Amino acid sequence: MKYKILICDDDDGIVEMLSLLLNLSGFEVISQLHSINIFDDITNHNPQLIILDLWMPGLSGDEISRRLKANKDTNQIPILISSASRDGEKIAYKANANRFISKPFDVSNLIDTVNSLLQPMNNAS
Amino acid sequence: MNEFNQTLSNLSMDNFKLLLSALEASRSGIIVTDNQLPDNPIIFANHAFELISGYKHQEIIGRNCRFLQGNDREQEARFILAKAVKDGEDCIVELRNYKKNGALIWNELYMSPVKNEAGVVTHFIGVQNDITRRKKAESDLYEERELKERNGHKRTNSLKENEEYLKAIIETIRESLIVLDNEFHVISANAHFYRTFALSPEDVIGQSIYQVRKGAWDIAELRQLLEEVLPENNPFEGFEMSHDFPVVGKKHFVLNARRIEVDGDFKDRILLALEDVTEYKENEIRKDDFLSIASHELRTPLTTVKGYNQLISRMLPANSAPVLVETLRKSNVYIDKLNSLISDLLDVSRIQAGRVELNQTLFELDDMVKECVENIQTGISSHVFNIKGSTNTKISGDRERLEQVLVNLIENAAKYSPASKSVDVYLSVVGDYIKVSVSDYGVGIKLDDHKKIFERFYRAKETQKDFAGIGIGLYVCESIIKEHDGTLWVDSDPGKGSTFSFTLPLQKNIT
Repeated sequence: MKYKILICDDDDGIVEMLSLLLNLSGFEVISQLHSINIFDDITNHNPQLIILDLWMPGLSGDEISRRLKANKDTNQIPILISSASRDGEKIAYKANANRFISKPFDVSNLIDTVNSLLQPMNNAS
Repeated sequence: MNEFNQTLSNLSMDNFKLLLSALEASRSGIIVTDNQLPDNPIIFANHAFELISGYKHQEIIGRNCRFLQGNDREQEARFILAKAVKDGEDCIVELRNYKKNGALIWNELYMSPVKNEAGVVTHFIGVQNDITRRKKAESDLYEERELKERNGHKRTNSLKENEEYLKAIIETIRESLIVLDNEFHVISANAHFYRTFALSPEDVIGQSIYQVRKGAWDIAELRQLLEEVLPENNPFEGFEMSHDFPVVGKKHFVLNARRIEVDGDFKDRILLALEDVTEYKENEIRKDDFLSIASHELRTPLTTVKGYNQLISRMLPANSAPVLVETLRKSNVYIDKLNSLISDLLDVSRIQAGRVELNQTLFELDDMVKECVENIQTGISSHVFNIKGSTNTKISGDRERLEQVLVNLIENAAKYSPASKSVDVYLSVVGDYIKVSVSDYGVGIKLDDHKKIFERFYRAKETQKDFAGIGIGLYVCESIIKEHDGTLWVDSDPGKGSTFSFTLPLQKNIT
């Protein structure tokens, strides 16, 4: 079974590039440009990992992370936050995200991080 | 025998302490320079020297005394001094020095060499006194004599005219002026003051400044200035204050305050001048917000470009032409370079907002310098980078940030000396500081630019044509060094080259 990864970022350039990268690495990708819709996507698709941008119109990445981690139905899903802001790391961990990667990121570094976040599930299955 | 030695060394230690406190208690500024280190740096300065010069201890140690003369380099006293230093003789001169705030001070300087047993000059001792008042009295006397000769009997008539004339000046200037008596009651204020604060003379004259508009002017900072700062420092310039006023809203000010010291009717009156810098401050904040947002927005497409670029590298077949692989690798290098330029921009807005966070660790300075120089040498083949001297000490600081400073200074040195072959990095200990100097033998920097090059976005005119850059490197470097309680400065002559030096405090309590 392919792992499903949900990407939420308001920049379509990044979404497109990330989708290609993750597809090529063997993942199924669902993408969302409008952060407002993310909770519907989670209910509809049941992703195993969520990659969030921080600064997005509507709902910010840290807000989404905080809500997901506070909800017992979703708090098991690992969250990776990626941002070009230098305060990003602090904000991400404050919002209970599992990992943070600064933009621009190194492609191999991103794939390694994704794999390590999915590792516990690999072991479980 | 051992016991005797112990007693002796204790005694000399006590003596040393005694001498040191005598130096500190002196009202004359006293400095010691080390003639055996390059550029004869100051290694000791007493407290009185800080008061006279207006510089802090950390800003003095490690520098050559010439920094006190600023641009005023052609004064005769300097040549007398230079000759005495060269010949190892003592001398007394009257020097025009400049305080940190730019104010002129006249110093009487007595300089005397210290020689070792072999007769070699190892140190110089400088003792200076502030003779500004004496000089002023001399020139006032001269002016008064002149005036008397010109005016003679006309004097009484012109007194009233004079008063009208002065009043016209005060009413015309675009700055708020208030006069207080010694108990802080308002005696008068100018039109600009009333306009700025939407007040009228009835609201303020005769009242205590703290009671104006039901206490709207009872501001902690103002009390501090009037009751604590001014009695000790008269006149006081550049006191910053912000406050939310009724009607006119939040204002940011820079104040000058002066208490009249001349005996007579006006003695102990206080003059307050308020410059409204609210708009300037707001613009600064706007500019910093802009920089933060711009850096963030620039990084977003850069992320996509970098991602695609690395994806192509991964998709390349194993037997691809080496030139193709190399081309891709190079484009990756320049993407990273662009990213670090954007980081610099962000650093600038960070520093402006006073939000540089240091990640302090303890490390060997000499090792760090050696590592940096080796790394740079592998990237730049046009120059040879030499390390001279050593500090043999650990310092406490943010290693990554300090590396950033050193790399910046060394790369600048190579960049601005395209025709020469070598760049020298000199390490030394000066007093209770370490000093790192980076010297090039290139284009050099005009004296007028020595201060400005540390400002944000400043680029020397000549440089603009021939060298690429956006003018933030040195600004960032200076802020990092300041954040470490050190000082960064430049000594340079156009056509001969530049030496950028910084000092950092020696770590105490390390064995």
